[in-house]
Amino acid sequence: MGAAILAWLRKPLTIAMLAIVMLLVAGELLSPGFASQRQIITLLKVAALLGVVAAGQNLVILGGREGIDLSVGGIISFSAFLAGNLMQQQNALLLQGVALVLLASFGIGLVSGLGVTLLRIPPLVMTLGMLGVAQGGLVLLTRGVPSGRAAPLLTTIVNQPLILGLPGIVFIWVLIGVALTLMLRRTTFGFNVYAIGTNEAAAALAGVPARRTRALLFALSGLFAGVTGILLLGYTEYVFVGAGDQYMLPSIIAVVIGGTSLAGGSGGYAGTMAGAVVLVLLQSILTTLNIPPPGRQIVFGVTLLALMLLYGRQRRLRG
Amino acid sequence: MAMRGLAAGQRPPYLMAVAVFVVLCVVNAILQPTFLRFGVAASNVAAFLPMILVAVGQTYVVLASDIDLSAGAIVSLVNVAVVSIIDGMGGTGPSIALGLATGLALGLVCGLFNGMCVAVLRFQPIVTTFATGIVFAGVALWILPEAGKQVPPAVYQAYAGAVLGVPTVVLILLGAIAFAVFAGRTPFYHALRATGGNMQAAYQTGVPVGAVRIGAYTISGLFAALAGLALVGETASGDPLIGGALTLSSVTAVVLGGTALKGCVGGVTGSILGAFILGLINNVIFFAQLPFEWQGLIQGLIILTALAGGVVMARGRQG
Amino acid sequence: MPILQASGVRKQFGGVVALAGAQFTLEPGEVHALIGSNGCGKSTLCKIIAGAVAADAGRLLLDGREVSFAGPRQAAAAGIGVFYQDLSLIPEMTVAENIFLGREPRAPSGLVNRVALREAADAALAQLRDVLGAGVSADARVAELSADQCQLVEALKVLAADPRVVIFDEATAALDRNQVAALFERIRALKAQGRAVIFITHRMDEVFEIGDRVTVMRNGATVLTSPIGETTRDALVTAMVGDAVAAHARRRRHAPGAAVALQATGLSAAKLEDVSFELRRGEILGLGGLHGQGQSDLLRALFGALPLRRGTVQVDGQPLNPYGPRAVMRRSVAYVSGDRARFGVMAIRPIFENLVISLLARDRRWTVARRRLEGVIAPFIERLKLKFSSLRAAVSELSGGNQQKVVIGRWLATRPGVLLLDDPTKGIDIQTKEDLYATMDELCSQGVSIVLHSSDDEELLAVADRVLVFNGGRVVAELSGEQRTRFALYQAAYAAARPAAAA
Repeated sequence: MGAAILAWLRKPLTIAMLAIVMLLVAGELLSPGFASQRQIITLLKVAALLGVVAAGQNLVILGGREGIDLSVGGIISFSAFLAGNLMQQQNALLLQGVALVLLASFGIGLVSGLGVTLLRIPPLVMTLGMLGVAQGGLVLLTRGVPSGRAAPLLTTIVNQPLILGLPGIVFIWVLIGVALTLMLRRTTFGFNVYAIGTNEAAAALAGVPARRTRALLFALSGLFAGVTGILLLGYTEYVFVGAGDQYMLPSIIAVVIGGTSLAGGSGGYAGTMAGAVVLVLLQSILTTLNIPPPGRQIVFGVTLLALMLLYGRQRRLRG
Repeated sequence: MAMRGLAAGQRPPYLMAVAVFVVLCVVNAILQPTFLRFGVAASNVAAFLPMILVAVGQTYVVLASDIDLSAGAIVSLVNVAVVSIIDGMGGTGPSIALGLATGLALGLVCGLFNGMCVAVLRFQPIVTTFATGIVFAGVALWILPEAGKQVPPAVYQAYAGAVLGVPTVVLILLGAIAFAVFAGRTPFYHALRATGGNMQAAYQTGVPVGAVRIGAYTISGLFAALAGLALVGETASGDPLIGGALTLSSVTAVVLGGTALKGCVGGVTGSILGAFILGLINNVIFFAQLPFEWQGLIQGLIILTALAGGVVMARGRQG
Repeated sequence: MPILQASGVRKQFGGVVALAGAQFTLEPGEVHALIGSNGCGKSTLCKIIAGAVAADAGRLLLDGREVSFAGPRQAAAAGIGVFYQDLSLIPEMTVAENIFLGREPRAPSGLVNRVALREAADAALAQLRDVLGAGVSADARVAELSADQCQLVEALKVLAADPRVVIFDEATAALDRNQVAALFERIRALKAQGRAVIFITHRMDEVFEIGDRVTVMRNGATVLTSPIGETTRDALVTAMVGDAVAAHARRRRHAPGAAVALQATGLSAAKLEDVSFELRRGEILGLGGLHGQGQSDLLRALFGALPLRRGTVQVDGQPLNPYGPRAVMRRSVAYVSGDRARFGVMAIRPIFENLVISLLARDRRWTVARRRLEGVIAPFIERLKLKFSSLRAAVSELSGGNQQKVVIGRWLATRPGVLLLDDPTKGIDIQTKEDLYATMDELCSQGVSIVLHSSDDEELLAVADRVLVFNGGRVVAELSGEQRTRFALYQAAYAAARPAAAA
């Protein structure tokens, strides 16, 4: 019984949940009102944005072979602007705007996936290159002048409180979480993802369509970044250039906090969701403490390193 | 001793980089007739030098199958630290010497720290050096929140000047090349490549894998520091954000040059060529006077294609 | 005085006890064979001696003095050299660089002397010149060498360090007879110089050919140590297994049918030349001959894991284009690799996932119905006598033999018509081997056809109905009935390949 509890305590998801509670308590103590309903809702909205893009990052990391997606920031910005330009603040154009943006972001991710699987370009390199292409594409799209606005319906869906004061974006996030977890645990595709993440050669010899699966992971990462871009547009109504850049690194960190191994083949999205909340909480506390930006950055980086101590250690060479 | 022809397996991995470099020089010369003039060439070298230096340092880390994503942050940190010291001590001769020495020492310390995290604590390199990069960048911001401060004319005049008719920047470049040639002949270099080629095997053979990895990161820190110093000479002031883009650019340059991210294959020659290629692509885009909104996208596509080429070349040695 | 003495050595990896108080002594000038079934602890003991693994308890004495190695470097400095079973070569570096890794000849400046390096490598290669084959030079990249060449380079690397104690862990797995003989000569030279050798092998022949003494380990402890002349094969096998085990001779119980399950015509690939054969229903077709002559390549090519240049394949009379494993498995053909760590198991995943993954791939269903699938695989788990704690446990917790059963079970669940087995019993304990032979028998009686490649000649000859002998990528002989003897096998294996003009 004791051993089981200990094992449960060591799970990354549990640690993340405990961290959330501790951060909330600490925040409330340091600055009363920190854990008020309004604040928590704002935090959840931001966490949702991070959580959705982290879903895509989670998938490519699960697939193993040093999977990572550095292009998500660029795709978010691109998608937000594209959506705004397509919608032009009109509800009638909402659906088609969303559809086209999802198609485009999926396509960008798919190109990365094809480069990784067909040309065997390392994900770090391929997505780095696609980041440049996405950013260049954004300039082409906007001609340097940010434009486009969200359809009012989108803004409402994202921001307006629905139940318990929680806005639509949070429910969308939870829905994505449930769907993703079901997909990973209950579908053949999910099994295939874990298989190729653990040992691609063995998986291929067992009949798993390894290349197709991996390419799809990158396409999905692009898709989720696209969703994030649309949600971001709804959240802020206007988007500024480079708005998506700040999501890339945190998306990776959220995945690490959540316990998904960077080597691939183990972990899940529930942990990543908790990781996103932890990160947003951390940012918020640092801001609340009125620590100037440089200090915040340093604390953030040090916290990351502390996380690596918990989750990011690799095998010893000596048995 | 038989003379071997250049069979497929013997092709140096930087071969494609040489070809691309030559093509770019030709294109550049066509678009900018003054390209090959001494003064213009020297100013190009001056502009590319920071990137070249960071790429050289990055090469050693990549050869060991690691990566240094904090390189750009170290550049910024050293840059502002040096300027702050020189400025703070009144811009005298001794202050310049102290500033330069401190800058180099700082680079070494940062590299050492990276190496300890990765080799001793066994943190995963990608996320860890992201984290240390955040910390270093934060410290840089803390030291000098906004670009400013001045250095005495002696510094930037020396940088822009020449020694015995050879521009200082070219001397620095030659110095870096000399270092690489020397380093490439040391037992350390063999150990480095072995570590990157098959870390387990190297360890079992008795190669001091940990020390080698730390050494590589220290070299990367040192070269990042040199880049920071070069930027002091070039801009004559400090800027905490100056190194921002250099990190990912250095990785791009290394891959363009035919060095494989998985380690062992490649070398500094390719990275220097890769850095030149990146710079020349910028020049070509500029001088081709393409419509402004297309420049970013085209640059991104060219770099992506060149990256793919570099990866294929590094791998193409296998049958 | 013994060069090396290990006593009371204990080691535990997580919950698994690898060594439970092992003993071992090594005298100067002797070759001491170390044998035992899989998981007995011999490799772990050697890794501890070599400094690559830290012991939990016990003493290690070198020349009578107690030592404790912090890592392989210290062990190497103390004069211990190791030939690792999975080799310790760097593929992208040259033969010369690999042989002298860490001990490169230096110029007075301290820099590496490249000329001296190449010369020293040439000298080392010259020792095995006759058996190395083409393509091996000081400047060749190890990645370009074949498996047997790699093993020989590894041997040269170990010997070049001039060690006092040399541990050979399965050093002959990929070598042919000539190469083994050449290696043994080098070992005898070591003996003459008063060095000592620990020799781990699965081949009884080698134990009796080169060994002076032999130690048998079982379940992490030493059970027998004896001079070679005072023991017999049967005694050693008994010590390894613990109970008396029936002698190797087994003959199959069922005769194959007449229908042709698989037909290959003129198959050619990178290392295959014009291979043709027919596989009947319920037959076990063996692939024999010296190592690396095309047996594994044929199996991989049939399964679509290796590109074919020419030739046709028919399954049950219908043509099949083996362009990938998925296409082939849809025709009810299955493949099991002998290298289960690299090509078999997904180690950190649960046993359940490992067992159903191929079923999912073949059935093309989108969802995983756990209960239904557990029901499907249950009979196969029982048939294979698979031992595990829970279906949710990771495969890595299982013993090597059980891991191999998981890989086989994964395919049996798809009810294949043809089963391609690529050295499935390599490094497996005797009990599991027996279980697998029984399973193969049962499958054949149900009409499943098997193509079996085995590196164990005796196993191959006892289990297969016919044996195709390979040499240089060609089938040079077919042995059936009374011809299935080791003599006939090796006679054919050494025969010159038939000239292409005959077709």
